Amino acid sequence: MNIETAEAAKEPRGVKTDTLFINLGPQHPSTHGVLRIGLTIEGEVITKAVPDVGYLHRGTSKLAEVRGYHHCVVLTDRWDYVSAMPNNLVFCLAAEKLMALKVPPRADSLRVIMCELNRIASHLLFFGTYGIDTGAITPFLYAFREREMVLDLFEMVCGARLTYNYIRIGGVMVDIGDDWVAKTREFLEYFKPRLDEYDTLLTYNPIFLARTQGIGTIPKEQAINWGLSGANLRASGVNYDVRKADPYSGYDQYQFDIPLGKTGSCWERYFCRVSEIRQSVRIVEQALDKLAPGPVMATGVAKVPKPQPGEAYAHVEASRGDLGIYLVADGQASPYRMHVKAPSFINLAILQEILAGRKVADVIAVLGSIDIVLGEVDR
Amino acid sequence: MTQDELLSKLASKLPRLEKASAQVKDYLTMRLPSADELVPTAKLLKEDLGFDYLEMISATDWLGAVKPEGYIRNPNPNIFLAEGATPQSIPTATPGFNYHPAFELVWTFASIADRVRFFLRLEIPRDNPRVPTLTGLFKAADWQERELFDLMGILFDGHPNLIKILTPDFTQGHPLRKDYVHIKDKYDE
Amino acid sequence: MGIVLEKLPGITKGLPGGELFLTTADNIIEYARKTSLWPMTFGLACCAIEMMASYASRFDFDRFGVIPRPSPRQADVMIVAGTVCKKMAEPILEIYHQMPEPRFVISMGSCANCGGPYYDSYSVLKGVDRIVPVDVYIAGCPPRPEALQYAVVKLQEKMQKMRTISIAGASLQQEHGSRDILSTAPNNEPLISPEIGPRIEIG
Repeated sequence: MNIETAEAAKEPRGVKTDTLFINLGPQHPSTHGVLRIGLTIEGEVITKAVPDVGYLHRGTSKLAEVRGYHHCVVLTDRWDYVSAMPNNLVFCLAAEKLMALKVPPRADSLRVIMCELNRIASHLLFFGTYGIDTGAITPFLYAFREREMVLDLFEMVCGARLTYNYIRIGGVMVDIGDDWVAKTREFLEYFKPRLDEYDTLLTYNPIFLARTQGIGTIPKEQAINWGLSGANLRASGVNYDVRKADPYSGYDQYQFDIPLGKTGSCWERYFCRVSEIRQSVRIVEQALDKLAPGPVMATGVAKVPKPQPGEAYAHVEASRGDLGIYLVADGQASPYRMHVKAPSFINLAILQEILAGRKVADVIAVLGSIDIVLGEVDR
Repeated sequence: MTQDELLSKLASKLPRLEKASAQVKDYLTMRLPSADELVPTAKLLKEDLGFDYLEMISATDWLGAVKPEGYIRNPNPNIFLAEGATPQSIPTATPGFNYHPAFELVWTFASIADRVRFFLRLEIPRDNPRVPTLTGLFKAADWQERELFDLMGILFDGHPNLIKILTPDFTQGHPLRKDYVHIKDKYDE
Repeated sequence: MGIVLEKLPGITKGLPGGELFLTTADNIIEYARKTSLWPMTFGLACCAIEMMASYASRFDFDRFGVIPRPSPRQADVMIVAGTVCKKMAEPILEIYHQMPEPRFVISMGSCANCGGPYYDSYSVLKGVDRIVPVDVYIAGCPPRPEALQYAVVKLQEKMQKMRTISIAGASLQQEHGSRDILSTAPNNEPLISPEIGPRIEIG
């Protein structure tokens, strides 16, 4: 035995690897937008993950300080562009608190219907893109087939497919047409059997289960400490939903369940969202039943509102979690300060913690399961 | 739990907190006397009173009306506007409103078990905007404090990683301050 | 071959058996290029969702030969779908220079055209045409999938009219590579590529 082999024998057995730094993004087919994650990897294992955001920072809070209150609703559409109705709603709720406006009951019901339909559309997009993230292309095509039908319903009512500006301060933009309720019921009847199809297509697919079950688990205490919200929090077993905990727009009148997980793995986050679609269908059906005729806009909404000085906070359960708005008025025609408590922004922060120690192949599965929209992360 | 019950519960454990004069509508708002008491208060709230969920951190700059120089003005001239008119109106200061050079921070603490939340406010001077960080108690504070540092210029003492998060490296100043003046960079005209 | 003979514009002349035809090199190159237009999947903001809808079941972009590619090295066209922020401007320029020539850019939506609702924002680039040359602009916030498909048809029309081998000599990019041109720019202004029309020498 010469000296060299003796040296080699001292090395630990197995493959020797180097530390490597990888940029995931900002242009990457599975980052759901312009997100950059700096990954330090040791062989297959991630030792450090640093998410870098801000590639879509548009300065909405600054712009709101020179826009009128009605104009701000337009800006809200573009935070979470996958489900814009709850964004409209949360700003209008905060502004209505400042202006002490009472929304008519029909407008409240319409708001609930639109938000829940938008939740269905948003979760369908998640279902499709999460399939692509884990290597299944087909669910995307099926999910978009149904998503287009929801978008058609929105188009009938407000003319836009993505950025609606439908919920306005004091009510909603315009009443629904005569045949809209019938069309919506027709869609729901068509849609309910499709959900079982999705389960056979993806939910219980063995490859999908192998990619997602037990991956990226978030314990209960960790989820609360990191301030997660939405399905990410509920998948960890925390029963917290703003619709139940702090009801708005008459959500306390509807019967629906909160799907809960246990360990907070990727699959449970996915399954919570898919189960939420069923609950949303239930809420829409109940809201359509109790839709009474009446006005859809409160009286006395000023063209250029100048609310009294004061502060208001409103939050709703948006498709991605607890979306809040903190509005400060100083008596001018524009908000003095608008702060957005964006669920995607706070949910994304936990990525640096749960990615460490996992394999590179799990990064996209974990990132996709957190379901972020970069427009909301960066605002 | 009603606001009064919550107030008496807080007052029994935290006598130094007082009800704020400016209330956030529909929610209980308390005022913290000084920045030193933030961490002990938050620790007590989290461990004894069950407020384990930090919902939001926000801040307001009470300097006065926003400066028009903070915006890129009129880059696309609107031919339908009258000569000399601007496409939007910049708000002016409201007479009689209490503007003063200070930042006011607002924390929202929520209790998931009791399903209640309340707001905690703290005023800090504008020339030395320093508060202790809450990242030791609530990890949710990590990115929210970085956002406030980036956009508002508030320094959180003890934060492990207080660097820019949203704006690009070449953006100078803190855009959400009321006296922010936009300095032209290589992408502006 | 029969399809090409029927549809190929310009002078074609079939020989017995249809095994040979005569045309200009321009025609055959541009025909091949325009009917397999591969865009890069490059979603920035809201418009990216409509771009995804264009690829999906109802609108089915594959009919036009448009198949998304995940890498800029394999792509012909970059669809800038969404708000271009200043932090993102540098990566966009980088990706643009990674694409092989001839490359095309479609600016989708008001934000990419001129800033859109963020016209006075401190962090938004007022139009992607300040950093890369744009071939087709689509108006709308966001534009419908049909509008994106119309833009692709318009781009195909433009490509059919291009003349590839009319100019002698290689282009600056081909001689030096895009990065060298970038680095030798006289000042640090955001550089608009000097070569907007394609000039390819076929040996």
